[in-house]
Amino acid sequence: MISSVVKWLSEPLGRVALLIVGLTVISGAAWGINVLQTTPEQPIEFPHVRHVSMGIPCLYCHPGATRGPSAGLPSPMKCWGCHQQMEITKTSPLLPPLVAAIENGTPLRWVPVAQVPDFVQFNHRPHLAAGLNCEDCHGNVAQMTIYQNPQVMNMGWCLNCHRERSAGNPELEKKLLDCGTCHY
Amino acid sequence: MKPIDLSLFGAKGAIVEAAEGKWGMAIDQDLCTGCQACVVACAMENNVPFVGEIDAGYGRSMHWIRIERFWEGEYPEIRMTPYRPMLCQQCGNAPCEPVCPAYATVHSQSERINLQVYNRCVGTRYCANNCPYQVRSFNWRDYTDERVNDAIATLKNQYNPDVTVRRRGVMEKCTFCIQRIHRAQDRAKAEGREVQDGEFAPACAQACPADAIVFGRIDDLRSRVSRLIRQKHGVHYLEELGTQPRVTYLVGGAS
Repeated sequence: MISSVVKWLSEPLGRVALLIVGLTVISGAAWGINVLQTTPEQPIEFPHVRHVSMGIPCLYCHPGATRGPSAGLPSPMKCWGCHQQMEITKTSPLLPPLVAAIENGTPLRWVPVAQVPDFVQFNHRPHLAAGLNCEDCHGNVAQMTIYQNPQVMNMGWCLNCHRERSAGNPELEKKLLDCGTCHY
Repeated sequence: MKPIDLSLFGAKGAIVEAAEGKWGMAIDQDLCTGCQACVVACAMENNVPFVGEIDAGYGRSMHWIRIERFWEGEYPEIRMTPYRPMLCQQCGNAPCEPVCPAYATVHSQSERINLQVYNRCVGTRYCANNCPYQVRSFNWRDYTDERVNDAIATLKNQYNPDVTVRRRGVMEKCTFCIQRIHRAQDRAKAEGREVQDGEFAPACAQACPADAIVFGRIDDLRSRVSRLIRQKHGVHYLEELGTQPRVTYLVGGAS
């Protein structure tokens, strides 16, 4: 039974069948990876580039980064603080969701993009305290519309930096390369 | 009996460490009333699931700390021994560590406690079989799934965000509330100082109404816990196995 299948696969028709199966698997994998890497849709197609070019610091909208684990995503009220005084709020095609959120008192459901899995306990504060800047991990947000991760945020990427920065300092090495620093 | 020195057999690396630890605990069994407040506080702090009646019947209860009690003597002269809160002893020479094929239970070099890395664990349960204190618990089901545990729909609102919610097939155990250790260290570092003794406590120590559980640095001779563990009536359970437990029990101090 098996030998006859192997024989059929070596015939022209069998080879075509193999090719089709192979192509299906590869394209399915490519589609899956593409879906995983695509930036999710946001309630407003937020132009980071315009806000940064006006000179608004990252920490104005994401102030939690200096204090604790989460940098935070701004609430509609934070946006409204500036936007209620701006003409563009009435004219821009992007902004009706913000106006609706303010009028109805509903939140804007931003989709977090720079995320780590549940089993990773990440804290922004020590990273900023160690002298890192936002763009060291989050890329050049000043050129972005919707935020995209500049690289895959996985453990190898974390550890590369931890290794580099702790090299030659045994005390720091113990701390930065310890499983329990991030996983508990 | 003298503790076995594992280094004699050529064991090295993480499983052998200097006799002094970093974090330690003293549990006064004379003060413990067996009220189980520590058990509840621990489950709340660390997202330890309730397994339900059926699984508990199979002996699959999940607790990171439990209150043990024993009886001694022959009937009718039976006397109950003092309550013994039993939790992971964070052994300096932990029997669970060398048996893990996935290196999921490793010794923390910086905190000198015994870690369980949930995302690395493949659920062989060798560590639980090798733990002389029987303090490791295994996730036999996805207790976070509403189809398994119908109370979770409301209970999941009180999950502690600082602690991983474990999924099915991983082992878990007491971490000495490492999330609180990290938080205290982080706060201290932000304020440019050292962590003070008594600044924070694990959930069990915080909840104990009798103040029977004391936590702190055992390498700092002035801390409250290291003063307690140096008392004459301090015992380490199963110390003869060479585990170098970091939890000291104080028993019979009044007599």
